[in-house]
This record gives sequence, structure tokens and C-alpha cells, in this order.
Amino acid sequence: MPCPVNGLRPLQEFLFGGEFRPMPDPQQASDADWASYVFCRVGEPGIRREWWYHLASGVWFIAERDTLRDEIHKTYLYSA
Amino acid sequence: MEGIKVEGGAVCGVETDRGFIRTNRVLSAVAGYTPRITQMVGVRTPLVIQPLQACVTEPLKPWLDQIVVSANLHLYVSQSSRGELVMGAALDPYELHSERSTLDFVEGLADHLLDLFPFLGGVKVNRQWAGMSDMTPDFSPIMGRTPVAGFYLDSGWGTWGFKATPVCGTTMAYTLVHGHEHELIRSFTLDRFEQFALVGEKGAASVGH
Repeated sequence: MPCPVNGLRPLQEFLFGGEFRPMPDPQQASDADWASYVFCRVGEPGIRREWWYHLASGVWFIAERDTLRDEIHKTYLYSA
Repeated sequence: MEGIKVEGGAVCGVETDRGFIRTNRVLSAVAGYTPRITQMVGVRTPLVIQPLQACVTEPLKPWLDQIVVSANLHLYVSQSSRGELVMGAALDPYELHSERSTLDFVEGLADHLLDLFPFLGGVKVNRQWAGMSDMTPDFSPIMGRTPVAGFYLDSGWGTWGFKATPVCGTTMAYTLVHGHEHELIRSFTLDRFEQFALVGEKGAASVGH
């Protein structure tokens, strides 16, 4: 896994943080939309934006990964 | 099966490679492939697919006549009637739609197995495999109706074994015939998440989560 800060590191040094999900405005979102944000995931295979964490250095970052072929396409630090 | 036709929020047929089949009821019971099916009808679910691996050793003379499970070491091991040790551990640590095997898994499992039974150090692994587990946030299955009328789910069985299958058949058949869930599975509907009525079931697998 190419860590955006530490370069290429063994996969065992990383923790999967789940699908990147933009948070809806809690004041505006309906209960159904909020529950969907909290619980639901894209689910089917494809190229996903995901949170990953480099355990050794404490870096959270985004990886674009193919969840069918287990190939990492791109990693970068999150910026809002 | 190539697609599910939905009109006005209700199922009206299934596309197959040998033509269209008209029906107003479809039950999806495809375990690790469930998200590919729910995508066809536009139903969002909390299901995430993660591989679950297992392996067997070369045959040994009989010495273990019970299953040994350790929640702390995250493994189970038993000896089959052929003498092989059948072993497994926790889910793979990230989402993946694949039945590939990894060395990481065997290394981790062997490490913990030797904590329990150091005398197995010289025993070789014979076979290794993986299955795709459809995991839910509360480790309980998702059964029954969905927001698409006529589209039913029996899914989310994740790391559960096959022993629940007969009663699933009975209760899902009831559900399709009557159009509402059998009383035994009412707690397992997809809308429990929207109602924050999760069913915690962390004893689902022989290995604790």
C-alpha cells in the first residue's frame, strides 16, 4: 500500500477504515437519509474511495481501490 | 439471471440469458453476491462483503474429538474423520469480492494455533480456501420484504453456518406466500436499521467478533 506520507509499506501496517461517505447535513437530512448514511454501504464490487490508516505513523488517508480485484489505484491525504 | 425488471416500485419480471420470465415475486438468497442483486433493483443495504478463510492440515492420527474455539486467539480447530485438522479464524480485515487465499491468514492462524498446541509445529497445511461473507453491522441476517414490492431478501448470513438453512426456507416461503414476514423473522427485516432496532448477535460464528 502506498502511504501518501511514508511511501510503499507492507499491507499489514494498515487498517481498513471503510467506505468514504460524505455526511449529509444532520439538521436537514430526513431520518431515512440519516439512517442510510449511518448504516448503508455501496456494497457491490467496483472502484471505491476508502479510508485507510497507517498504524505505525498514525496517518489517515484516502485510497481508491478496486474491491473486485484488490488493486489499489491511488492514495492521497484527505482534503475537504 | 441478467436483471430484475421493476415498474412502479414493484417487481414485474426477471431477465435471463434464455429470455424474460414474468413474475411479481423474486427472492434473493445469494450470500456474498447479494449486493450485485440489490444493485439491480436499486435497494441500498448495509451489507459489506469480506472473505472468510479456512484451511486443513495433512491427516493425523485421531487425537482431538471436540471442537476447540478460542475467542481470545480468534480461531477454531477440530479434527475431521479423515484426520485433518479443520481450522479457521476471523474475517479478512477489509472488504473484498474475491475467494482468494492469503499467506497472511495462514501465518496468523498458525501463530495462534501453536500457542494452543505447540506440538503441531511440524504439521503441514494441505488445503486453504475462502468464501465471501455478506456482513451486517449487527451480525444478524436481513430477511423479508424490501422497499421494492415483490423483492425479498434472505441475506446477511455472513459467517453463520448452514444449519439455519431449513428454517430459513420455511419462514421465507411463508413470507412470499403471505406477503408479510413469518413471526420468527420479523426482527430481521431490512427496515430495522432505519428504525434503529438492530439485533445484536455476536455469537453468530464459532469465532467471536
